[in-house]
Amino acid sequence: MKEVTAAKGVKAEEHAEAVLAALVRAGLPEAEVYLKEGRSRRLALGLAGAEHQVLVEEGWSVRAGDRRAAFFAAGTGRPEPQGPWPAPQGFPSPLPDPSPVVRWTDPPDLDSPLLTELEAQALLNAVAEALAAELPGATLVEAVLEDGSSASTLASSHGIRARWRHRVAWARLVAALPESAPAGAALGAPVRATVEQGAREARRLQPRALARALADRLAVRARGDLPGRETGDVVLAPAVAARLLAALLPLLVGLEARERAAPLVDRAGRIGSAQLSIVDDGRLPNGLLAAAVDGEGVPTRAVPLVEGGLYRQPLLAWWQARGLGNGAGSGNGPARVASGCSARPSFRDLPRPGPTHLFVRPQEGVRPAMLVGDLARGCYLLDVDGPGHFDLAGDRFALPVCGFQLDAGAARRPLAGGWLTGSIGALLRGVAGVARDLAFFPLGGMIGSPTLRVTGLEVRPGE
Amino acid sequence: MPFGELDRPALARALAQLAEGPDDLVDAFLERVEVVELPAANEPAGIRLRREEGLAVRLCRGDKCWLASRDRLDAEAFVDAVRQVARVYPRTAAAPPPQLVRPWGGLPATAELQAFPRRLDRALRERRVAFPYRLHLRRHRRELQVATPHLNPAAERESWYSYRVELQWGRLGGLLVELGDEAAEAVAGRLADAFRVREASPPESVTTNVVLAPDSTVTLLHEAVAHALEADTLAEVGAPEAARGVRLSEARLDVLDDPGGAPHAVRRRTDDEGTPVVPRWLLRGGVVDQPLADQRWARRLGGLQPGAGRRESRHRLPAPRSSYLRLLPGEGTLDELVAQAGDGLYLAEPSRGRLDAQSGDFTLAFAHGRRIRGGALHEPVGPCRIAGRFADLLGKVGAIGGKVVPAGAGWCAKGGQRLPVWGAAPELLLGGIEVLS
Repeated sequence: MKEVTAAKGVKAEEHAEAVLAALVRAGLPEAEVYLKEGRSRRLALGLAGAEHQVLVEEGWSVRAGDRRAAFFAAGTGRPEPQGPWPAPQGFPSPLPDPSPVVRWTDPPDLDSPLLTELEAQALLNAVAEALAAELPGATLVEAVLEDGSSASTLASSHGIRARWRHRVAWARLVAALPESAPAGAALGAPVRATVEQGAREARRLQPRALARALADRLAVRARGDLPGRETGDVVLAPAVAARLLAALLPLLVGLEARERAAPLVDRAGRIGSAQLSIVDDGRLPNGLLAAAVDGEGVPTRAVPLVEGGLYRQPLLAWWQARGLGNGAGSGNGPARVASGCSARPSFRDLPRPGPTHLFVRPQEGVRPAMLVGDLARGCYLLDVDGPGHFDLAGDRFALPVCGFQLDAGAARRPLAGGWLTGSIGALLRGVAGVARDLAFFPLGGMIGSPTLRVTGLEVRPGE
Repeated sequence: MPFGELDRPALARALAQLAEGPDDLVDAFLERVEVVELPAANEPAGIRLRREEGLAVRLCRGDKCWLASRDRLDAEAFVDAVRQVARVYPRTAAAPPPQLVRPWGGLPATAELQAFPRRLDRALRERRVAFPYRLHLRRHRRELQVATPHLNPAAERESWYSYRVELQWGRLGGLLVELGDEAAEAVAGRLADAFRVREASPPESVTTNVVLAPDSTVTLLHEAVAHALEADTLAEVGAPEAARGVRLSEARLDVLDDPGGAPHAVRRRTDDEGTPVVPRWLLRGGVVDQPLADQRWARRLGGLQPGAGRRESRHRLPAPRSSYLRLLPGEGTLDELVAQAGDGLYLAEPSRGRLDAQSGDFTLAFAHGRRIRGGALHEPVGPCRIAGRFADLLGKVGAIGGKVVPAGAGWCAKGGQRLPVWGAAPELLLGGIEVLS
């Protein structure tokens, strides 16, 4: 390969090639070079005042060795082709072979400029004003708005050449209502609510919608009563359903997932109701983390994990699926089972498998209100009040929640301080309705769900 | 030191252009970090090396703060960061300092990392225990240089180790300042204890007397005193300056944050804002003396002493945090405290603590412990946690042990910033504590 010096102005692809060539010449035939550049703006409002940050990131990582041993090195700036490189040790770090990439077009808004300082301030001010208008007395006590873009370059001695970009904006808002106290808590403590939302571009975040979401949660927590033992159907807002799904990831992701899920799968291979389908899709249209390839250059695709209630397969990276001649069902080899699902949270990290956009498949044409309308008695659960407890082996869970008691399809009274409890098997088999309002949340990957209606669970006053 | 030939006057002149008045806070933070990791056996890439360097320039004016951070440590990055933070363009561009840092040099030595797994195996064999485990080891080295328009403190250097052990029945981890035989003995002791109690049942939920081992004491004080007395935490619930003089315990609890007294490898003369550190009495005789504050909070509130500003990296703003917590000794041996407890629990292995600043609710979880009955230690018990209001918990201190030992070293995560914290304490007896299984 042609040698190119590590001079400024050299394109990332050219620099990666130069480093790769040097590694191979140095007797490291299994080599991969990863370069990342990024820029982000962060505005945080809180008790300390306003904090404006601009972060320019430039980092790299190399994993290299032979078939017996390898090293991993990472750093800031760009790597020098000549190293020095650590001696390979321990176990090798296997690299994927190139695979055809399904045609991909970058979303057009990847190139939109980052929010300016004034725009960021104006957006958060708009949320605060809208919140005060929605719920007099409510204030925004903490707000963080991040808007960033990144470009990654990957080159390996196996022939992978990949480049991908991300553009993500994220808002985390905490509001408080000072005069009220939540059910079961000490008097005098302010009621708080947190809302998080992401978008490809911060200018798409809607201040009024964010304020309304905060106000709804504050109002429920401030005025809610402790539930009695509510045993009717529960309708789960996306925030609640996604949190439950996130807790079930050990049943859906990784080599041991199938074994963990086995006690919940019946002889027909069914783990959930016929309404329940769960997918991981690294190239989800409009997905915040969507790209043609994953962090190892392996093509992404939609992988059905649960389909119509049937447990199809866990989410596996290419190296986890190796040797699985028949992982997901008859006729499925490793290529069919594996997915491009290795992420690099930062240049400092080795790629590791995990969900990109993992979600309950929504049902087109079903509005959330349609899941509530014919409900004689039950609960609509709006938000989660804490991490909860999940015992996958013991098939039990308990999640602190707030929402509304429902009667004849309408909200009767707000509920706060309650717990959604039941068996994990009942949760999965009890999915009786799925709406169309899919929403994602950052829960170890982007985990998403639409509104769900579930039978067989209980909302009670204590854990 | 990599910053040995830094042109400090040039840095100061460049930073001085950012300040418009005497109340502006301006500084530059230069950082170099090296982490060497020895992963567990059978994991790919048997040696993992990360070297980072970069800088950040900060301007604080009134209640606003601007930070520009970069992943390069050169003149161009510095000038770019200064320009980005400046509220008005400087009339004349100050010449950038010609060199900020020396090159890295050769690869780091890893002998002590490579030798530690064998040391640990030997220490476990001497304890007559054997079980499969996976050990992950890291060495952390951090060098930093703070520069301001007026002050140029000396560069700081810290070095420590972190370990994580995965077991069939759980995991444990911690921090060490060295990796010799003493460290191997300490880790082996924890692992052997965990092995012997792995099938112990949790204790029943009860209100009882509790004796905390030094590790548990430091963790309790970290959550219930240090976090509670950080200026930003205090501001969430009231006026930080009003905390001074409040009595939290009738017992003679003397708790200091003393970065200058920490073990040598992590000892500091200045904080991450370049402010000189001093031993800071958090509690003196059970009464709040001096909350933890950084420059911003000290300026906002007056009456608070800066010098406790810490930051995870150049990409994060500093915030008040403790570094090295010390509880001064009382009197009594462990046996005497256990005898005084009569019946209760001895809790030695803290796993996780949490303080809710809004409500004052506090929980501290333990991986295992031992039952106290008739004033003596008896059978092991499994996981449990103590809970309550932190002020109530501190009010239940009955006795403080007489021998202070290094303890409680671990990672502290708050506000998205993960920092190493260190401590030294004796045992602590608490009376009438709610224990939950």
